[in-house]
Amino acid sequence: MLQAGSAVRGLCKAIRPSAPIVKAADKAMAAHALPATLVLSRSQSNKPVVADNRVEVFVDDIPVMVEPGTTVLQAAAMAGVEIPRFCYHERLSVAGNCRMCLVEVEKAAKPVAACAMPVMKGWRIKTNSEMTRKAREGVMEFLLINHPLDCPICDQGGECDLQDQSMAFGSDRTRFLDPKRAVEDKNLGPLVKTIMTRCIHCTRCVRFASEVAGVEDLGTTGRGNSMEIGTYVEKMLLSELSGNVIDLCPVGALTSKPYSFSARPWELRRTDSIDVFDALGSNITVNHRTGEVLRILPKTNEDINEEWLADKARFACDGLKRQRLVAPMVKDSKGDLRPCEWEDALIVAATALQEANGSVAAVAGGQADAEALTALRDLVYRLGGQHVCTEEVFPDNGSGTDLRSNYLLNSSIAGMEEADLVVFIGTNPRYVVLVLPCMSPTPGAWCWCCLVCHQPQHLGDSSATVEQLCAGTHAFSSKLAAAKRPMIIVGQALLGQSQGGVLYAKICQLANKLRGSVEPSWRVLNVLHRVASQVAALDLGYKAGVAAVRQQKPKVLFLLGADEGAITRSDLPADTTVIYQGSHGDAGAAMADIVLPGATYTEKTATYVNTEGRAQTTLAAITPPGYAREDWKIIRAISEVLLCVFNVVAHEEPMNVMLQSVGAARVDGSAVLRPALLQLEDYYMTDVVSRASPTMAKCIAAVKKEKSNRYHSK
Amino acid sequence: MTTLSRILPSARGLLHKVSVNNVAVTAVAVRHNTTKTYGNLSDEDRIFTNLYGRHEWRLKGALARGDWYKTKEILLKGVDWILNEVKTSGLRGRGGAGFPTGMKWSFMNKPSDGRPKYLVVNADEGEPGTCKDREIMRHDPHKLVEGCLVAGRAMGARAAYIYIRGEFYNEASNMQVAINEAYKAGLIGKNACGSGYDFDVFMHRGAGAYICGEETALIESLEGKQGKPRLKPPFPADVGVFGCPTTVANVETVAVAPTICRRGGAWFASFGRTRNSGTKLFNISGHVNNPCTVEEEMSVPLRELIERHAGGIVGGWDNLLAVIPGGSSTPLIPKNVCEEAIMDFDGLVAVQSGLGTAALIVMNKQTDVIKAIARLMEFYKHESCGQCTPCREGVGWMYKILTRFVKGDAQPDEIDALWEVSKQVEGHTICALGDGAAWPAQGLIRHFRPVIEQRIADRDAAKAAAAN
Amino acid sequence: MSSSRLVNLRTARQVKPMLSLDRAEARTRVINLYKAWYRQIPQIAIDYDLPKTQSECKKKLKEMFMKNKDVKDIRIIDALVIKGQMELKETVQVWKQKHGIMAFWAPTVEPKPKDFMGKFLDGHN
Repeated sequence: MLQAGSAVRGLCKAIRPSAPIVKAADKAMAAHALPATLVLSRSQSNKPVVADNRVEVFVDDIPVMVEPGTTVLQAAAMAGVEIPRFCYHERLSVAGNCRMCLVEVEKAAKPVAACAMPVMKGWRIKTNSEMTRKAREGVMEFLLINHPLDCPICDQGGECDLQDQSMAFGSDRTRFLDPKRAVEDKNLGPLVKTIMTRCIHCTRCVRFASEVAGVEDLGTTGRGNSMEIGTYVEKMLLSELSGNVIDLCPVGALTSKPYSFSARPWELRRTDSIDVFDALGSNITVNHRTGEVLRILPKTNEDINEEWLADKARFACDGLKRQRLVAPMVKDSKGDLRPCEWEDALIVAATALQEANGSVAAVAGGQADAEALTALRDLVYRLGGQHVCTEEVFPDNGSGTDLRSNYLLNSSIAGMEEADLVVFIGTNPRYVVLVLPCMSPTPGAWCWCCLVCHQPQHLGDSSATVEQLCAGTHAFSSKLAAAKRPMIIVGQALLGQSQGGVLYAKICQLANKLRGSVEPSWRVLNVLHRVASQVAALDLGYKAGVAAVRQQKPKVLFLLGADEGAITRSDLPADTTVIYQGSHGDAGAAMADIVLPGATYTEKTATYVNTEGRAQTTLAAITPPGYAREDWKIIRAISEVLLCVFNVVAHEEPMNVMLQSVGAARVDGSAVLRPALLQLEDYYMTDVVSRASPTMAKCIAAVKKEKSNRYHSK
Repeated sequence: MTTLSRILPSARGLLHKVSVNNVAVTAVAVRHNTTKTYGNLSDEDRIFTNLYGRHEWRLKGALARGDWYKTKEILLKGVDWILNEVKTSGLRGRGGAGFPTGMKWSFMNKPSDGRPKYLVVNADEGEPGTCKDREIMRHDPHKLVEGCLVAGRAMGARAAYIYIRGEFYNEASNMQVAINEAYKAGLIGKNACGSGYDFDVFMHRGAGAYICGEETALIESLEGKQGKPRLKPPFPADVGVFGCPTTVANVETVAVAPTICRRGGAWFASFGRTRNSGTKLFNISGHVNNPCTVEEEMSVPLRELIERHAGGIVGGWDNLLAVIPGGSSTPLIPKNVCEEAIMDFDGLVAVQSGLGTAALIVMNKQTDVIKAIARLMEFYKHESCGQCTPCREGVGWMYKILTRFVKGDAQPDEIDALWEVSKQVEGHTICALGDGAAWPAQGLIRHFRPVIEQRIADRDAAKAAAAN
Repeated sequence: MSSSRLVNLRTARQVKPMLSLDRAEARTRVINLYKAWYRQIPQIAIDYDLPKTQSECKKKLKEMFMKNKDVKDIRIIDALVIKGQMELKETVQVWKQKHGIMAFWAPTVEPKPKDFMGKFLDGHN
């Protein structure tokens, strides 16, 4: 287990560009910060033979049958007895240093640390005995003597483990008469606020950083009472998963900087929802008060994000309040957008659509929901339009998007645990789908991508490598062919480029070939999408890419949250009317003649389909600001005005078309496969919401500034 | 094997015993039914014959003293024979805990799973008052190198790592010279001593942390990590250094192994009381006329040890206040207990202390005993690794209370608070440093509570007088 | 159960009158209240500086009374009369403010739209 852990950590380092081991491992890799084609493999794992060799233990005289190797704490949990803990976290390695979980075991001289001690046959564990109680009380007293007890001004107040457990197990007064320790606060960047005097040294944050986030920046310095958690030298915590240490911290030592002093947990209302900043579909809980989103926390979903959340999903929520479109706008005679009533805007929009006489097209952006996509598609088709497209590109060759399995992460996110070899082509999984790296097979054994693996290997930076792989002439091909459960994960840097179609077709062929030698249910080919709306859009029959719209030159172009500049004013004739519907005033609204204010994901109940094809629903936490409306309603209102009422369907089943054989086409091998998001500063602003977020702006500024830090590892 | 006979001139001439190998066991059994006294080890029974550095420490001198004599034969007798001799000798770990060495080494002889096994020699001698291992390493380094080979053979180890305290510069130099000489002479390395057994010895210098003397912290440090004790289980015998089965043993334990094999386990067992057998290096420091390190028989009475070898207490025996009998981690014992105390594992447990590393810190009546314990506590506060809560917080707290006790600046009920805090630390920590820090404070309260109370009362009176 | 107890039960269920014993008496009370309001209207218009003519006020007065024209229960009529007297007192003593009087002309509750378009334009979900 230990060895697996260290190997995996090595892998984390290799994946994360800032880690020094990359340099040591592969110069090419370091030069390009992150390889476009990257291979992870893991040693063959033997599935344990299931046999009933369970042992019986007694927790407070309740008999439980447990597997050998189960810890006392887990056995107690099975018996329904909760043992207090601070340092133990089921998704991190066991540290056993808080000593809060000490319990008495009959015939043992000393109390044992429940989180670390495996049970032995016939043990009688006493979680409520005098010895246990004494031990807990002692540890509690020790934790509190140097804890500032500034709960009234602490952001953790109300959701603090130390607070709760001191109420349950602590003494009501102190015997400590000497001055308390004070610790200087550390600057971890614009997201994580530190009040290190409150730290109880559980090292959860340190373990998270090294085991899950893959950055070795956090650690302990000093000994004994002067031990401190910090970054060794003055530098930022450069990780896109840094926000999770806030959730992990059992006390108020690490709190959220943007959220600081803004609310108490009991004032908040919580609405479960889905994150739309990437295609993973992380489950979240939106915390809001009086119609304002105050913070976003992860919600546990074992199949997707476990309990982690990426920084953008967590902290970009202040972008939901800024740059918002709050009223419909129509261009006046001078060409300026003027706010107007909904009636006026709808009539102008409907008139334009009617007069277009069928020359209508639509482009959907990355955060459009399935309901709005359906409504828009039906509207365009009803008006006689031909083209409904997405901004994100996907190759059209071969069976294109006709087969659903062509554009999904077929193995599923949780299924990645079982893969024994993963080839990433043209994607940087670190920034595309952030939480993906955090999946772990079992508590205690920590891995990146759930792969117990060797060092990752960098295969190449150009499309030539892909061609060699497909042709079977690459040095790695034999390894790939030998893998029992290989995975090929294809990303946007390959799909989006001019030869993407040909390359993708070849990879499909390769995957088909590999499927011949693996177990029938195993899926080799996987696509990792960048944006939340893409899979739903393709499911609904949208065409990937805007090339068709450019050719058609429609009279009316309807942009549904399309802000990434896939199509610009210069691509269109001067007399084209552009209708923009979306939440934020960004590129799309700037080029529009009619602006219809829509809702963001926290303001509507809508369906999103993640990269593995899983449909999930957001729940409206708050109402849209001003005159903004839910997106499908706006489109339906237009159609009401157009006197063609139609029903809104959630989403449709994908079309099933037979796989067409792919012709062997020639590929120019010089095309460079470089993922768009290579640096941490690229990551923070990728869509309208995060572009409007001051916190994300601060992050970028901080990361850029960090580069001039002399301790910054290049 | 050599049959040695010896005549033990008893200190008080009560018993003459002929110890021949095969009758030694009987002799031991008999001894406990008699009024045998221990001590006054004769020169021919000393293992460390160059303890004071009066002779050559290099290979030449070592050979002259009998080191490396028939090592090959010992190795060829095999694992079981060596283990059996060590078990017969009754040798217990000399690092402080006193775990039976033969049993510990035999833990390593489980069926191999392909991982190499390692012997790690704990030469991180940092306990205040203890200075026995450095004498071995600077004046008799070949004893340790040979010990590594014999002990390594007994547990089937591939190599030995000697983790030496960073401050021991000269000792490390001598050790390295000895290792180099042994390699050059073919005593270790490939086909060590011509026995067909490959064995390497590496030396690693620490960076001066007391906690790195704890076996799992030592392993962490050896691996290049922060010296913080690991959770047990898994024990080092399962997962030790670099993830391989490892035994960590004290320098003295390892260094006596070759002599035990040469002269027989029964010879070694003939010294001291049962379960406490052997000879032992005692360090006597503090208020004695002649502080020294001396090899003496186990179970020697404390008073005799001090008076015979250390020239008595400064100011005479009646000027004795207390003795910390086993290095700073053991509770002190006051003069009246010292009169009868026996210097072995059981004898000191009987007086609520411990043998530890057998380093006596002697304090006479001119000592401020509270200040002495407070100073020890400062050491532990400084050396606590800070990993687990009771030690990190508790030791600092005890130090703060004790510092105030020195001046009497405290409430009388804080004495009980200190006692309870020390009990809250003891037994609740990952490693034994917490216990070692708690015991001196407990010893102080157990035997010198009136002194603390008087100090507090004096200060209160002085304050009241100043106020009037 | 004996018949006498049944009778007792029935009488117990009969309610005590509030003020009026019959419809005629209740009607008198209503007309008296109406007259009292009617007489106070000029003074009220001056006290509150109402932007309404006296005839408008009288029209509104009649409208408010006519709103309850279908009430038949004597007890409810009595209750409404009592409320009307309280209202009158509050108005005459200027315990109210202008908007409290003007509220008679501006009902605040508008009917909620039921159709999609109406709800959309109103911003109702």
